[in-house]
Formats: sequence, C-alpha cells, structure tokens
Amino acid sequence: MAIMSANYLTKTFQGHTVVDDLSFKLEPGKCVALLGPNGAGKTTTLRMLAGFIKPSQGNIQFNEEQFAKDIRHYVGYLPQYPVFHNWMTGEEFLIYVGKLAYLSKNEAKTKAHELLDLVRLSDDKQKRIGKYSGGMKQRLGIAQALMHDPQLIILDEPVSSLDPIGRREVLNLIRELKKDATILFSTHILNDAEEVSDDILLLNHGKLLKQGAIQEIHSQQETKTIYLAFQDEPKFIEERLKEFNSVFNIKRENTGFAITVHDVNEARAQLLEVIQSEGWNLTKFEVLSASLEDIFIKAVTE
Amino acid sequence: MQWQTIYKKEMLDHWRHFKWIWVPIVFILFAVMDPLTAYFMPIILESAGNVPEGATIDIPTPSVGEAMIMSFNQLNMLGVLIAVVISMGLISRELSTGVYELILSKPVRYSHYMTAKFTAMMTLLSVSIILALITGWYYVTVLFGDLAFTQLLTSAIFYIFYFMLILSIVMVFNSFLTSPGLVAFLSIFTVVVLNAFTSIFDHVITWSPMLISDYIGTYIFSGEIETDLYFSTGIAIIISLLLLWLSIILLKRQEMH
Amino acid sequence: MDDLIIQLILPLVILQLILIIVALIDLRRVEATRGPKWVWILIIIFGNLAGPIIYFIVGRKG
Repeated sequence: MAIMSANYLTKTFQGHTVVDDLSFKLEPGKCVALLGPNGAGKTTTLRMLAGFIKPSQGNIQFNEEQFAKDIRHYVGYLPQYPVFHNWMTGEEFLIYVGKLAYLSKNEAKTKAHELLDLVRLSDDKQKRIGKYSGGMKQRLGIAQALMHDPQLIILDEPVSSLDPIGRREVLNLIRELKKDATILFSTHILNDAEEVSDDILLLNHGKLLKQGAIQEIHSQQETKTIYLAFQDEPKFIEERLKEFNSVFNIKRENTGFAITVHDVNEARAQLLEVIQSEGWNLTKFEVLSASLEDIFIKAVTE
Repeated sequence: MQWQTIYKKEMLDHWRHFKWIWVPIVFILFAVMDPLTAYFMPIILESAGNVPEGATIDIPTPSVGEAMIMSFNQLNMLGVLIAVVISMGLISRELSTGVYELILSKPVRYSHYMTAKFTAMMTLLSVSIILALITGWYYVTVLFGDLAFTQLLTSAIFYIFYFMLILSIVMVFNSFLTSPGLVAFLSIFTVVVLNAFTSIFDHVITWSPMLISDYIGTYIFSGEIETDLYFSTGIAIIISLLLLWLSIILLKRQEMH
Repeated sequence: MDDLIIQLILPLVILQLILIIVALIDLRRVEATRGPKWVWILIIIFGNLAGPIIYFIVGRKG
C-alpha cells in the first residue's frame, strides 16, 4: 500500500504552469530523490505535497483515505532555505514547533531532546539559533520536520547550500533516518541521489520524465560501458575489438579503454575469450552502468 | 492549546526584544510631555529673560480637562505611530524571511496564527496605554486640579478600542505584503485618509471610530458618556473583527513562490 | 516650586535613563545592526527620546 499518492497534480501561477499533471505513489520505507534542473518545478511540487500550497488541479492522498484531513499532519517538511526565529534557542524552537503540531508540553520536550541527540545539537541546544552555523541550522531544520513523527519526511534541497562537511553530516543523517521513515527529497546534485536514495523521480518543465528504482533505471539503459585496462597495451587491440558486433564504440582513456556495448552478456563473453586467447595481461575488467548523470542529461535534453 | 502556544511565543518575543520595557516607557513619556510643558511654559519663558520691559506674559493655564486631553492627543499622534511600526512586521517579516514557511508547514490554523499574534500585540498596547494614561492623569491632577480616577479609567478603556482598530488595519496589510515598511506606510496612510474623511463629514458620520478621542474629550469635560461614544466604539469593534476575518482569508490565499 | 519640579521631573529622567540603558544592552547583544554600532551608541545616548526609539524600531538587523 502506498503511504501517499499524488494524482494528476497541476499548479498554475498566474497562467504559467509550473507543475503539469504529475502522478506518482510513494511506498513506505523508501527514500526517494526528486531530480530535475533548476526551475523544473521541484519546490512547487514539494510545497504542494507538504500541504503548504494548494494544487490548481489534482489531489494528494495519504494512506488511501478518501476524506483526508489537513495533510500537514502527515508530513514533516524542511524548506530549501529554512529560517528560524533567531532569538529562540534550538531547544525552545523544537518544543514550540512540537506544540504547534498538538504535542503536549512534556511530549514536545521529550521528543525535542531525543531529536537534538539524533542531529547532534545537544551541546548547543541552549544557544540562540542566530549563532548557529549553516550546517547546524540544516540539522535543526531536519529535527523540526521530525517533531510530530510524520509518515513522510519532505526535504527540499537539504544539502545543496552546505559545505562538504555539512553535506556529509546531513547525508549521513538521511541514511540513518531512512531505516524507519519514508523520505522524499529534492536535489540537483545527482551524486547525492545515487548515494542515499532507493527510487528517483525525474522532473523537467513540471512534467515527470522518469520514475522508478535506481537499479531499474540503470538496467533500462540500452548501452553499457565495459572498462578494460592492461599491464602492457596489446597491439592492434582497437582493431581486434571492433570486429565484434556487440561492441559499439571504443574510447581510449588514460589508463585503459572504455568500450560501449549493446548487450553486456554477449560482449563480456566475447571480450574475455579474445583476451584469453591472445594472452593479453588484463589488470582491470569492469562493467559500468551509465551514470545517473548520463541518464539525466539524456532525459532532460530529449 | 495551539492558540495559547502562539500567544505565549509572541509574548516571549516581545519580552526578549525589550518591547515590554520600552513601549510602556515611551507611551508614558508621551502622555506626560505636553501637560508638563504647558504647566512650566510661563516659568521657562520668564526665566529665559528676553521678555521686553513692561510686557506681561499672559499664557492662560489650561484647565484640568484640557491638560488631560493633551495626553490623549499625544498618544493619538505618536502613540499610533509607534503602534503601527512595532506591528508592521508581525507577519510580513515572517513572510519575507521564510519563517512563515517553516511554521505553517505544521498543522497550524491560520486563524490561530493571526488572532494570537493580534492579541499578544493588543496586550502590550493596552498595558502601555493604561500605564501611560494613569501616569498622565497623576501629573495632570498634581499640576492642574482634580479629575476623578474612574473617569480616566473609563476613558482609557474606550481608547483601547481605537487602538484595536488601528492594529487590525495593520494586520490586513500584514497578511498580503512582504515589506514591513510598506505595511507601515499604507497603514498610516489609511488612518490619515479615514481621519480626513471623518473631519470633513463629521456632522454626518457621527459614529466614525476616528471620533472616539473627540468623544472621550467631551466625556472628560462633562463627566457624562454620550451615546456617540458607545456607538463609535461599537463600530470600531465590529470593523476590527471584520478586518481580522479579512486578514485571515488573505493570509490563507498567500502563496509563496 | 523646586521640590515639585524634582518630584515630577526626576521620575521622567529615570525612565529616560532606563530607556537608554536597555537600548545599549540590546545593542551589545545583537549580532548585527543597520550601520556601524558606534553610530548607534551616539544616536541612543545623544538622540534624546527619539534616539532609543529609532534604535529599537530600525536598528536591529534580522
């Protein structure tokens, strides 16, 4: 059962369609990356799913309920540029936000301390948020999104404004969270998506171009690359390999050859056979899937 | 529960930013400034010594009622101005910085958000007004003669509803603008226009809330509350509630992008 | 006469002093102001009643 389904979501701002007829479902326990170039409609989509703005058309359903209440109850949301009341301390802010989500004072306090531990801000909980660094604010932002134990955690570009250390911290945190939560996060950095997410949604011009598990999307690709490296460069290797019909292209790189192939299994057999029969001293044989970047660029430019 | 949470947070905000100290003090200083100057003016002029030989200074000392009205008039000008500028960013600043997005992503009711903020600010303003007018009354009675305390307190309570109207005007502009400066400008502009309109047609629209302070003046002189005061105050309350309702609707329609 | 002046003026002077002190405490605490802090110190101390008020309204940043 999907915990959330978005049905035919469309959002128009002053005649300009930002999100166009978007439909997808989120399975429980998955970490899903929403990918797309800048201006693809990622933030608008997330704001609709967070119940923060209303879709012009379509609807959002949680737990397949017919008459849903305010969807903000189900969602913990971290905006792209989280801004806090800087005069409050981290602890005060979390308790405040918890009480806004109908936790009792004690529940809010307990939960706040638990989350401050999780995001490693316990030592700074008495400090005013105005004195926090960017990474600390982002972690506090994640903590506030979790205060009311939401079914779905939505993070809008959670790492793109951070330095490498802050980025690492937040990615580790996401990896920890995905053990027992459903996460949807947007990013335009494909490495991040590949690193922590199970599924991807690829968005451009407000339309959904691709969706599915990362492995599945990789395996759908028509061509793959096999990377070969040798101790000494074999003579006439390019000429020899080109004879195979499974080989599509050969590219010489610094330390070896990147060979683009149609059918991986066929090509693997043929290549290994010729290597053995010719006695080339192979040092590396690797089947590379097309990078997410290739897929992304291909999908966006098509 | 949620409403109280926001109200308490707003009160804490006003406290942390020292508004609970400086706003009452400033209101008090406004309220005593004019009666005090009026009392000491002849003495100041005399001691300045640049009065021509033989000329007598004849500035009539104001009556107790006139002096008390001076306090109200100061608050009418400067008090309203301060009330507008301290509430110009109540929501508009949260919209422009983005705090709003974080807070409203929780299941917060728009009506709670708006009315709790309104009430917290109204609490601060009411306390400041009462303290200021009591201090003003104390100075006036010491310097100019007797005025019943209950009469002053009744006037102050009526006067608070005038500020309620001003604050609800500010909240309307807050609910759809993201620039606090523009909120302040348009609010003051609205008050000025309403005042001008009322003074042109004051024989027709005798119920205008802009006349509340005039009617309070009459009450201070006569000691009797005219029906016009009840009427204009009632209108002020009704318009305030309508404006609050309007600002909740406008805030709901607010879409950030 | 002089007694009366002291009795009435002194509390006002104290209030004004409180206003200045509170503004200076706030100025010390805030991270950033519009314009340099030393200018605000001058405005608060020498700006009469308006000085602290202007500081509280427009002085702080963020």
